[in-house]
Amino acid sequence: MSLINGTTATAEDPDSKSKPITPWELRTEFSHHDPTIARINNGSFGCCPASIMAAQQRYQLLFLRQPDYFYFHTLKPSILRTRLLIQTLINADNVDEVSIVDNATTAAAIVLQHTTWSFFSSLFQAGDAVLILHYAYGAVKKSVQAYISRAGGHVIEVHLPFPVKSSSEIVSEFRKALQMGKANGRKIRLAVIDHITSMPSVIIPVKELVRMCRDEGVDRIFIDGAHAIGNVEIDVKDIGADFYTSNLHKWMFCPPAVAFLYCKMCDDLSDLHHPVVSHEYGNGLAIESSWTGTRDYSPQLVLPEVMEFLSRFDGGIEGIMRRNHETVVEMAQMLVEAWGTELGAPPEMCSSMAMVGMPVCLGVTSGSDALKLRKHLRECFKVEVPIYYRALVEGEIDPITGYARISHQVYNVVEDYYRLRDAVNKLVKDGFTCALLYK
Amino acid sequence: MDPPAGPEDPRAATNGDNNHVPKKPKLSFITESQIREEFAHHQPGIARINNGSFGSCPASIIAAQKSWQLRFLRQPDDFFFNHLQRQITHSRSIIKDLINADHVDEVSIVDNATTAAAIVLQHVGWAFAEGRFQKGDAVVMLHCAFQAVKKSIEAYVTRAGGSVIVVHLPFPVNSDEEIIAEFRKGLARGRANGKKVRLAIIDHITSMPCVVIPARELVKICREEGVERVFVDAAHAIGSVHVDVKEIGADFYVSNLHKWFFCPPSVAFLYCRKSPLSHDLHHPVVSHEYGNGLAIESAWIGTRDYSSQLVIPEVFEFTNRFEGGLEGIRKKNHDKVVEMGQMLAKAWGTNLGSPPEMCPSMAMVGLPSRLGILSDDDALNLRSHLRDHFGIEVPIYYQMPRDGHIGATDGDGCVTGYARISHQVYNTLDDYVRLRDAITQLVHDGVTCKMLQRE
Repeated sequence: MSLINGTTATAEDPDSKSKPITPWELRTEFSHHDPTIARINNGSFGCCPASIMAAQQRYQLLFLRQPDYFYFHTLKPSILRTRLLIQTLINADNVDEVSIVDNATTAAAIVLQHTTWSFFSSLFQAGDAVLILHYAYGAVKKSVQAYISRAGGHVIEVHLPFPVKSSSEIVSEFRKALQMGKANGRKIRLAVIDHITSMPSVIIPVKELVRMCRDEGVDRIFIDGAHAIGNVEIDVKDIGADFYTSNLHKWMFCPPAVAFLYCKMCDDLSDLHHPVVSHEYGNGLAIESSWTGTRDYSPQLVLPEVMEFLSRFDGGIEGIMRRNHETVVEMAQMLVEAWGTELGAPPEMCSSMAMVGMPVCLGVTSGSDALKLRKHLRECFKVEVPIYYRALVEGEIDPITGYARISHQVYNVVEDYYRLRDAVNKLVKDGFTCALLYK
Repeated sequence: MDPPAGPEDPRAATNGDNNHVPKKPKLSFITESQIREEFAHHQPGIARINNGSFGSCPASIIAAQKSWQLRFLRQPDDFFFNHLQRQITHSRSIIKDLINADHVDEVSIVDNATTAAAIVLQHVGWAFAEGRFQKGDAVVMLHCAFQAVKKSIEAYVTRAGGSVIVVHLPFPVNSDEEIIAEFRKGLARGRANGKKVRLAIIDHITSMPCVVIPARELVKICREEGVERVFVDAAHAIGSVHVDVKEIGADFYVSNLHKWFFCPPSVAFLYCRKSPLSHDLHHPVVSHEYGNGLAIESAWIGTRDYSSQLVIPEVFEFTNRFEGGLEGIRKKNHDKVVEMGQMLAKAWGTNLGSPPEMCPSMAMVGLPSRLGILSDDDALNLRSHLRDHFGIEVPIYYQMPRDGHIGATDGDGCVTGYARISHQVYNTLDDYVRLRDAITQLVHDGVTCKMLQRE
């Protein structure tokens, strides 16, 4: 059945398939971005090229055109197609292990709700522990509160150092926390580990941490890789966790919002279910997730078009990842040199994002300061970049307490980072401090 | 900043200059040709008599939605920090007025009725798990509750140790009194062994078979029988029947806005009457706003496309382009679907499954017994056959004959199949004439569902 007549879909033109994308075409793909903003925050909400938006709209119209036909004939095969692509991308054994959900937040709810049932069915006992990173994403911490603490689970937060000099610092801190967690014979039922932490953003050596967890008898391991796909390599078999989730709308050019949740095949997990229960309940998470009531499933259907888009870049997604990483590191180093500060992590622990120390004189003394500074940069300098507040540790003298988390995606240009550099330099020159923002 | 007013916008007319404003009382209503334009994206050639399943969305609302989507994509951080919550609150307050809720806090926006059911039932699940409810305490549902809701009860109630009381309602049905009597009997029977009933789930308009339930009366019976909480699943209701949540008096009330209220897929509201219990409800997808109340939680469940929730003001304006607004649309749909239903029943020698006053904007029309609809599969096969061979989209319902009941008959035998016809503003007489002729043709050709199995 052919798609809507009359639309010239350049993605489907055989002559343009895999034709390298030109700088002009690239600008056009992102011409819907606010041109006045230096958009250095791909990490938060991602981005979506115009040709993918057009593909999404085609699917939306296809549904609206004849929804019953779409429901009975088109939807499920299209979702399966996406799942097969992801299976290949992440090296999963079986497509049954790959479910599509709205976002990593939903994936977390699925895994954590399953853990709640384990507590209430007495498989787990009150006081059994769930381990999360101190830097776990705020929404995930709330989910742990809602599903684990409430069910009687004990939550262990692992503090990791930041700034950090190497992966081995992470590994040894984690090892210590595991040991302490298991003290007095406490059982650790679930470990929730970020692949790339959000704030502050660093790459976590997940493979090693998973191995450590297995060695220490942790029952289940869930990797929150929200930022990972399109940003770092993902090989779920190599990583060896039970659950792995990543958002496709952050670094994989999908429209908001779509994520995958990988669940290693295992009898224990046969009762994993989507919290929004519909007709397919009991048929396995992947099938359940493909119908959670009438919805707009179009973001889940455009991955084939995204793969074509990626093929137009030199080296495909690997090339994009590599260039994003190299450029963001380059820009980060340019900034720390200009400001006389430091990176929060070495280049090899930076993904397509980097934590750049901000001049101490700006006086970032709280999370509220960081938010207000971010707003100030947005409104007065037209720079969009999230700021992280890093509390000083006792004994430190004049440490860096504010870090800008800069991102690099294919639409970014060097002027974006110059604008940030110059904005901060001006603030320093003018004697600005965050305290002024409360007047 | 709201999207700019369109050329037909009534606001544009009132500039206070009486010399230049035309003397007619209002700008003219939407015309037939404008309606056709608004739904020109529907597949031509299909007699689309199934608005009930997936609803419909006019072109101007699709455009408004795209405008919101672009605003997010243009500068998502700014949209997130400065606009999204405010716009969702605006949508919620429009809904609050539409449904006569007391406080906007009582109105949460969720994806669909299925999600609302999960929210309410997960709350019940927690109560069992945390010992507030005891094993064996019951939840009441109708036998014809929507399949997804039944599964949700399995997942959250049965699994947690609760029991389920199923109340059968009659179909075909002749009056509200029949429903009320059956419900009272069914509830009393279910409670006979002293079970505590913690929650009753009552449809306002059942899906299959489709009938308007006297929800207010049933809620009253529940209260009389000591049912703790009542949840009205009104997935089809808004834009299809009059909705007054205070009058209905339930604790929870949900309706989809993409079915009969012209919103894009998908969006629904969940009304939770203010009470000491309501703060315990939480959205299953837990995010930053956990603990701030369901309405606030539901307004951020991670990065999503919230645009379908933001076009409610534009949809409200769209309905006002019709004479009588939403009420006018509702009434016209109802009158038309009854007229078409009666036309079909007459042509086929069958009957409606319920009297006109129990039909919303949908009607159950008996299908000729000679078609031999003897199972759910038969019904589905017939539906596919009508779609593939006649270009007609209409869901078919199989009514299993109840023990001891003859049920409806036509000249040739028992009527066991019903077509659920819908009428929405885009439907035309021709849609129903085509259905009439298709069925007549099948009967004339001696086609039975048994033959369709081999397709």
